[in-house]
Amino acid sequence: MARRIIRIIASKHCDDPVINYKDITYLGKFLTPQGQILSRRRSGFCTQCQRQLKKAIKQARHVALLPFVG
Amino acid sequence: MAQIYEAMFLLDNQVVREDWGKAKAIVTKTLEKHGGTILTARRWDERKLAYMIEGNRRATFLLVHHEIPGDAIPAMQRDFNLNETVLRYLSLAVDVVPEEEQALSEAENAEDFTIPTPPPDDAPDEEEPREDVDEDSLRGRSRGSAGERSANSKEPDKEPDEEPAAGAEAPATSDTASPESSGTTTGTESAAAGTETATEPANAGSDTATEPANESSGTEPVGAVDETKDGDGADGSKEL
Repeated sequence: MARRIIRIIASKHCDDPVINYKDITYLGKFLTPQGQILSRRRSGFCTQCQRQLKKAIKQARHVALLPFVG
Repeated sequence: MAQIYEAMFLLDNQVVREDWGKAKAIVTKTLEKHGGTILTARRWDERKLAYMIEGNRRATFLLVHHEIPGDAIPAMQRDFNLNETVLRYLSLAVDVVPEEEQALSEAENAEDFTIPTPPPDDAPDEEEPREDVDEDSLRGRSRGSAGERSANSKEPDKEPDEEPAAGAEAPATSDTASPESSGTTTGTESAAAGTETATEPANAGSDTATEPANESSGTEPVGAVDETKDGDGADGSKEL
């Protein structure tokens, strides 16, 4: 059986949980090349941080800092 | 009680090229008209947009911290929606104004501070953060794909190795060596079969019956393939 390789990008992010929509370099790490938000399983965020990430990415998309579709 | 808001405004570059002060005043005056108080206002950046907004590929970003009463917000939003200079805006409630923003705003208000003119719409963006992201993701993808490829390539190699009892030599051979050996054996077998069928069509059935035995032995050394080459045709059939 082939194992699925899952790269966890953020671990122990909860020490500094402020995610800003202007920091697009950081937010871009949690997007697929197509512009989709990574799942919690792949991003490694806890529930609260993943919600913050989702909100920040959607705010950045609204002001055209990040694309809706890659 | 007024709430502090951090608002980001996307301004049309045509207006910014004419006069930055005028473009900035459009936003600040609208906020003040609705009872708002400007705490900080500065040019955040000028960059290429991730997607076109009202036919613009680039825009100037104005970051404003202001206080405004809650009942004035709908009228303010209507004004900004009707304003053609403001392409888009995002207003978020914050607790305090960061000290860095105050310092940067004061620096921009200085007389000797000059703002570069925005480049034309077709100009590429100087900093491209998406490239780094793509590289990371591509690395991950290439690793995954390489792993899958190696896993897929191993599976057909293992099948002929498992059939004979040469299990000790199979792990010793590297992944790159095993497909080469299997490829050479199949190539020689097909060539041998082709010659045999051309010369002796009656013996083709018996030769094909010997081929699986050659396959099993051919994966281990290359010399085994040479033996089949030497003994193809009449010798191989005579032995059996």
